[in-house]
Amino acid sequence: MAVLLSEIQWGDPILPATHDVAWEAELKRRGAQVLEVDRRVAPNRWLREAAYEATNYVPIALSERLHRMGNMVTAQENSCRYCYGANRAYMKVLGYSESFIQQVERDVQTAELDDKERAYIVFCRSLARSRPRPAAAERAALLERGYTPAQIGEIAFAISIGCFYNRVSTLLAVPSEQKFERMASGPFRWVLQLAIPLMKKFGPGRPVQATPDRAALAAGPFGVVVAPLAGLRAGGVMKAALDGAFESGVLSRSVKALMFAVVARTLGCPHCEAAANQLLVEEALSPAEIEGAMATLHCPRLAQREAGLLAWARDTVYYEPSSIQRKTRALGAELGADALLEAIGVASLANGTVRLAMLLE
Amino acid sequence: MTALAWVLAGVGALVLSALAALVLRGRRQNDQLEILLLAADDRLEQLQRQFERFVPADVVERLTRTGDAFTPERRQVTMLFADLRGFTALCDRLDPAVTVNILNDYFRHMTAAIAHHHGHVTEFVGDGLLALFGAMESNPWQARDAVLAAVEMRAALARYNATLREKGLPELRFGVGIHGGEVVAGVIGTAGLSKFSVTGDPINVASRVEGLTSTYQVDLLITEEIRHKVGDQFRLRPMPPARVKGKAEPIQTYYVEPGE
Repeated sequence: MAVLLSEIQWGDPILPATHDVAWEAELKRRGAQVLEVDRRVAPNRWLREAAYEATNYVPIALSERLHRMGNMVTAQENSCRYCYGANRAYMKVLGYSESFIQQVERDVQTAELDDKERAYIVFCRSLARSRPRPAAAERAALLERGYTPAQIGEIAFAISIGCFYNRVSTLLAVPSEQKFERMASGPFRWVLQLAIPLMKKFGPGRPVQATPDRAALAAGPFGVVVAPLAGLRAGGVMKAALDGAFESGVLSRSVKALMFAVVARTLGCPHCEAAANQLLVEEALSPAEIEGAMATLHCPRLAQREAGLLAWARDTVYYEPSSIQRKTRALGAELGADALLEAIGVASLANGTVRLAMLLE
Repeated sequence: MTALAWVLAGVGALVLSALAALVLRGRRQNDQLEILLLAADDRLEQLQRQFERFVPADVVERLTRTGDAFTPERRQVTMLFADLRGFTALCDRLDPAVTVNILNDYFRHMTAAIAHHHGHVTEFVGDGLLALFGAMESNPWQARDAVLAAVEMRAALARYNATLREKGLPELRFGVGIHGGEVVAGVIGTAGLSKFSVTGDPINVASRVEGLTSTYQVDLLITEEIRHKVGDQFRLRPMPPARVKGKAEPIQTYYVEPGE
């Protein structure tokens, strides 16, 4: 259930922070803050890029106000102490009152929002939670409220990449950004209120990136899921993350495709399961082997150290943070730090991708 | 002219003061309403927490947040029955408070094992419990989950027995039966007293299978249906087919051997 910040039980960090000087300098050059998450995902190239994009994506079809509120309730639904706390603090810095934030997080019906905004918040919660995942009817309801298809695409992306980032933070048990949270609630909040807009205006701008067309998006792993984002920079972000995850050699391609298939089956997404199966066939797994692995969450073809990843990937769909953090710590003892980080990235990305696939319904 | 200006200024000042007073009053009322709303939210949340002591949290969540009325539907569900052996006789020898403490601790350990494997306890009856897997939402691995939960329950009971032994209290033994099939799931009962549960023939079979653990003097039995779904993930020993009440044909069961 959606819990409040103080109710989330959070373990100690699973992986230590690493100070990758070059990566931190690159983040600063891009005008981004170096966050606790960045310090923990730094050793993994595709994951650190995806994490950077998740926190620095600027929506084009969605207002900043909706984007912020959506990020907060998505983090709340995912019980991510790190993201929920940071997003809540950021909303305070942007000038939202404590009572407004409380209304949004407790009961959107009492918040000073119009019906269109309320429908958006309800949709954010529903897709983040995905019990069951929203489908065509929910999409049609947003269209009826006046959201355009491009806006719905960007909304689904924002929630999906939020679910990805929430899981990365939760599975790593990243400690909260305490200084920022304290400052946002303290008397010197106005310093941040002045500084953040100035930094946005005069800080180093990010390079303008092209938005890949539909054909380019459809080309890689899970291209069918990413293709509906054609025309939005979001499409490029998802494609880069998926391509990076499947190109990386830290874990076998087979286990990564199986992890995606397991998450897809848990959330009941035939599109994603079919796309994962296609990757598995390319890895020379027979249909019987695939079905056997899916039925038992065990695949004899996988290396011994990868054996526990399918059952764990399934547990990353619905969880209680301290419980999944315990399981992740145990998994790390078998996998080692690099492979665990990759596994966390893959499972998180699978959760985001399968949620995004609601656009195909 | 000057006097008129003073009068107009005075009237203006009065009107402004009245408006300011109205705005302030409105704000105060608004603030009070906000406080009342937050207090009402707090009370509702407390009520929800209390409610979750009696009904699975997922059910409460769906009833309160999404307004889900749990329209009855046919679902593929795996059922796990667990019953303590000889506990009734034990009750006669123990202090009632000690008996209840033992039972509560036992249920706490068993519920944790079940929840750990994606199941939920739908009811406690005396010293028995019924857990469901896949009743609340589709679960493709429900048979595996139920067997894993039972195996963890077995380990949890062994640990709990060690603590009972240390305290000089009698140890517990249980029998667990697992079966799956299509049932009707939904909120069942009257307007005054109802619960989320399932009904259908498979639930009777699961109950009979739990009863067979006593006949065969084993602690954990599954049916052919469950064996088919879990494949070779567990070490299973076939038991003699047994006739049970309400079934024309004997049913085949398998003992789940320890050590998995």
